Amino acid sequence: MSPAPGLDRAIEVVLMAGLVSSAALLLFGLLGGDPGVLRLGILLLMVTPAGRVVVLSIGLLRQRDFLFGLLSLWILAVLGLSMLIGARLL
Amino acid sequence: MTSPETLTLVMSGAFTGFVGALLGLGGGVFLVPLLALGLNLPIRTAIAASLISVIATSSASSTVNLNRGLVNLRLGLVLEVATSIGGLGGGVLATLLSQRQLFLVFGSTLVAMGLLVVLRSGRRNVIADSEADPGPLGGRLQEGEQTYVYRVKRLPLGLGASFGAGAISGLLGVGGGIVKVPALNTFCGVPIRVAAATSAFMIGVTAAASSFIYWSRGDISLVTSAAVALGALPAGLLGARFSERIDPRSLKMLMAAVLLVVGARMAWEGL
Repeated sequence: MSPAPGLDRAIEVVLMAGLVSSAALLLFGLLGGDPGVLRLGILLLMVTPAGRVVVLSIGLLRQRDFLFGLLSLWILAVLGLSMLIGARLL
Repeated sequence: MTSPETLTLVMSGAFTGFVGALLGLGGGVFLVPLLALGLNLPIRTAIAASLISVIATSSASSTVNLNRGLVNLRLGLVLEVATSIGGLGGGVLATLLSQRQLFLVFGSTLVAMGLLVVLRSGRRNVIADSEADPGPLGGRLQEGEQTYVYRVKRLPLGLGASFGAGAISGLLGVGGGIVKVPALNTFCGVPIRVAAATSAFMIGVTAAASSFIYWSRGDISLVTSAAVALGALPAGLLGARFSERIDPRSLKMLMAAVLLVVGARMAWEGL
């Protein structure tokens, strides 16, 4: 049993969606030798963990679990910061 | 890139993804040397591809582990915060220690942990009474017909290990699971399967944060990263499923073997 009921399933769905779509892009990109498709597939894989942190944050805040919701937002902020650095915006 | 090379990359990703999912490691400790030394890739390309593979392994194994209720989301969150601060502290650590000192300290820590895992492999962390109170961060674990309860002990040690994992992951390009899993299991009283699942869950976020930095530097080779990720993805699913069939003691022994071998190799490089 999970200490945060209901959220496991939502996160599982987000992870699965990210994995299936990026795997399809990577496979087509590799077989077709298309760098644009490969780039998109890798980027999608890279943002998948961020997607699950978003879902966890929203879920915890909706359950009025503000302490853990805040911790989750901190993680999201750190990820956002490195994304900004990655996009050369900082 | 020729297709035999691509196939080798896919196989490398599959191997590290499988072992990584089994033990809750990202697999970077195997993949970085495999790519850099075995396939002669530049170290930064190897680290970047390894980070992408860690994300694939983490996400794939987590879909299985979440479904089984093995991931402790709250504990993972608390430790993730320590890891993220460690990631920032890693830069400071790099200025205090030379690369050789870092390898020596990290390697000998792993060897010590490996010995500790062996010594304590007979102990079980769980309480067989399903009505027992797991405390604010503990949880329940279903094994066959039996429901076990575990409590999280010595949280500061778990936080310290997660901080350290964050610090070294930025420097060495590894996920840090190799530090977190044994610390959670031997010090904090978390069952090995839950420790592995929770660590595997966290590692995706740690690796993602570093991967954006490598992306901006142009270190991500598209074909290399895609090939290892395509290997790691199904292997991560498979490893997480397979982990159920292995008894906790064997999992701990496998973990100890990995710690001793990787630790000795790293310490040797530091000498």
